[in-house]
Amino acid sequence: MTRPALSGRVAVALVVVGAVLMLVPLLWVLALSLKSNAELMADTHSVFNGRYTLQNYADLVGDGQVFRWIANSLIVSLGMTAGVLILSSLAGYGFARLEFPGRRLLFVIVLFGLAVPEQAVIIARHQLFSWAELHNTHGALILPGLSAPFGVFLMTQYFRAIPKEIDEAALLDNASRFTIFWKLLLPLTIPAQATLGIFTFLSAWNDYWWPLISATNKEMFTLTVGIASTQMNFAQTEGLGFLMAQAVFAGLPILIVYLLFQKYIVQAVAGAAGR
Amino acid sequence: MRHACALRSVDDPLHVNYSDKNTNREDRLATVELTNISKCFGRTAVIDGLSMSLNPNEFMVFLGPSGCGKSTLLRMIAGLETVDSGEIRIGGRRVDHLPPGERGVAMVFQHYALYPHMTIRDNMAFGLRNVGVARDEIAARVAAAARSLEIEHLLERRPGQLSGGQRQRAAIARAIVKQPQVFLFDEPLSNLDASLRVRTRVELAGLHQRLGTTMIFVTHDQVEAMTLADRIVVLNDCRIEQVGTPMDIYLRPATSFVAGFVGSPRINLLPVRIEAAAEGLARATLPDGTLVQTAVPTAALPQGDTTVGLRAEHVRIASEGAAARGTARVVERLGERTLVHVELKGGAMLVAEDAGLSTVRAGDEVGLSIDGARAHLFDAAGRGHHAAG
Repeated sequence: MTRPALSGRVAVALVVVGAVLMLVPLLWVLALSLKSNAELMADTHSVFNGRYTLQNYADLVGDGQVFRWIANSLIVSLGMTAGVLILSSLAGYGFARLEFPGRRLLFVIVLFGLAVPEQAVIIARHQLFSWAELHNTHGALILPGLSAPFGVFLMTQYFRAIPKEIDEAALLDNASRFTIFWKLLLPLTIPAQATLGIFTFLSAWNDYWWPLISATNKEMFTLTVGIASTQMNFAQTEGLGFLMAQAVFAGLPILIVYLLFQKYIVQAVAGAAGR
Repeated sequence: MRHACALRSVDDPLHVNYSDKNTNREDRLATVELTNISKCFGRTAVIDGLSMSLNPNEFMVFLGPSGCGKSTLLRMIAGLETVDSGEIRIGGRRVDHLPPGERGVAMVFQHYALYPHMTIRDNMAFGLRNVGVARDEIAARVAAAARSLEIEHLLERRPGQLSGGQRQRAAIARAIVKQPQVFLFDEPLSNLDASLRVRTRVELAGLHQRLGTTMIFVTHDQVEAMTLADRIVVLNDCRIEQVGTPMDIYLRPATSFVAGFVGSPRINLLPVRIEAAAEGLARATLPDGTLVQTAVPTAALPQGDTTVGLRAEHVRIASEGAAARGTARVVERLGERTLVHVELKGGAMLVAEDAGLSTVRAGDEVGLSIDGARAHLFDAAGRGHHAAG
C-alpha cells in the first residue's frame, strides 16, 4: 500500500469516527422522541427496546403554540437574512467600489464591530428597545442582527475580488452604477450571498439570548425560547419524549437548509480554512 | 496608409441597419485628436502635455515598456481615467468631459472583461440594450458580428466555457456590435499563447481592413506594433519618443530609446569618437579602434558624447575584408539566420548576423563587415541622426 493511500484511509476512518460521535446524540434525541413519556420516566434505557410511538409528535401537532413559535422563528430568521444580505451587499459594494471621504476609516470602524461581544451592548440595547417600545415585536428580534460587520467584511472582500475591468467594460456599455451593481456584480457574488445567508439564517434560528430578553410575551417567543420555556424543573423526567420531539421538530428547518445549501456551506468552510 | 480603406457594401457580413447615433458610416470615419493631455497620479506625472492626432481609419499602436503611460493614455481616451488638463476630440466632438459610454468608443480589454454569468450572446447584447436598440436590430448585429468572427456556435455558452482565444474573439465581437467610431485595444493578445497570438494578430489586421474604423492598440510587443500599425507612437517615461510608420520607426529612430526598443535583436549601441571625413560625413571610431564610415552628415551633429547604432543585419560575419575582429561568445541559431554575439577587443559586445547554416562556434575568432551607411548616430541627449534622404 502506498503512503498516500494509507494516510487517505486513516483520514477517512477519522472522519467516520467524528461523524459517528456527532450523530449519536442526534440519534439519541430522535429515539427518545419516539418513546412514551411514561416509559422514559421509568428508565431511558427502554429506548433500546419496547414499543415506539408517534404520540409525542401527535401531541406536538395538537399544541398550536409550537407552530406560532416556528412562525416567529421563520419570520425573524428570514427577515434577518434578507436584511443582512441587502445591507451587507450595498455596504460591501460601497466599500469596494466607491470613492468617498473617510471610506477607510469607516471600514475600520465596521471591522471593530467584529470585536464587540453582544454581552457588552445588551443592556444599552435593551434600554433602547424599551424606549422605542419595540420589545415583543418581530422588529425587535430582527433589527439587532442587521448590524452585521462580518457580512459587510465578507461582501467587501468578495466585491474587491471581482476585476474592475468588469465595471469598466460595463461603463463603456453605457451601464449606470445601479445597473452595474444589480445586473453584473451582484450575480457574481451569489456564492458569498449564499454563504452569508445560510450562516445568518442558522444563527438567527438558533439565537436564544436576545429573544429570551426581548420577547417576554409567549406569543412572540421564537422556537428556541419556546422550547426552553416548556422545560419545567422536572421536565427531564416528566415529559422527556415530548421535549425531544420538540427538539427534532425545531431542528428540521436547519436540516432542510443544510441539505439544500450543503454545497455552499462546504465551500464557505473550505474557503475559510484555505485563507 | 498601408491598409486600404474598405468601404461597406450590402453584402458585408457586418452591414446592418444602423439606428443609433454613432453608426453612420461617415460618423465612423472618425479622427482622434489629443491636445496637451496631462495626467498625474498623486504627484507622479504619467502623461505630460501630450498632443497627437489620428486620421480616420488609421490603425495606431501605442508602443512602450511597462509604466510608460500607454495604457493610461488609452484609458483616458476611453473615459476610464479623468484628464487633468487638455482636450480629447473624437470625430471633431470634444469628449473628455463625457462618460465612457457616450464617447463612441468600444474597448477590448487585456483580460477580456466578459461578464462571466452571461452567455456570449448576452455579453454582446448588453451594451445595445442599455441604449435602447431595438430587439431585432440587436439580434441582427449579434448574428453578423458572431458570423464575422466565427463564434456563432459559442453564442449560448458562458465565458468560463470558452478557451482563451475564443474569449478574445467574443470580446472583440462585443466591441464590434456597438459599431463604435473608435476601437480601443488594451494589450488584447498578451494572454494568448504564441501561435494563437500570431493568428489573432493576422485576424485583427483583416478586421481593420473589413471594418475600416479607427483603431488604437496598446502593446509592449514590438512585433505586434510593427505588423499591425499604420503608425506607431513610441512612448517612454510619460512622453512621446516618436510617432511614425513602422518602417520610419525602424529605419530612422528618433532617439536611442526608440532604436533600442524596436528591433530584434536589440540594436548594437556603442560609444564612439566622431571625426569629419570626406563629403562632410561622420566617421566613427568604435571602442576597439575600428573605423566605421557613416552616411550621417557631421553638420547636424552636436559636439559631445556620441553613440553609434548598428542593427545586427548590418554587421555581418565575414571571412574576408573584415573591418573588425572579435571572439564569438554566444551563437544563436534561428534557422533562417544565425546571431553571433561577438566580443571586440576591449570587451565591447556586438551582435552580428550570419547565414542560417553558419559554421561559427562559440570561442571562434571571427571577422566582421560593417555596413556603415546604415549606421545611426545618437548625440549626448539621445537624439538620432541618420543618413540624409
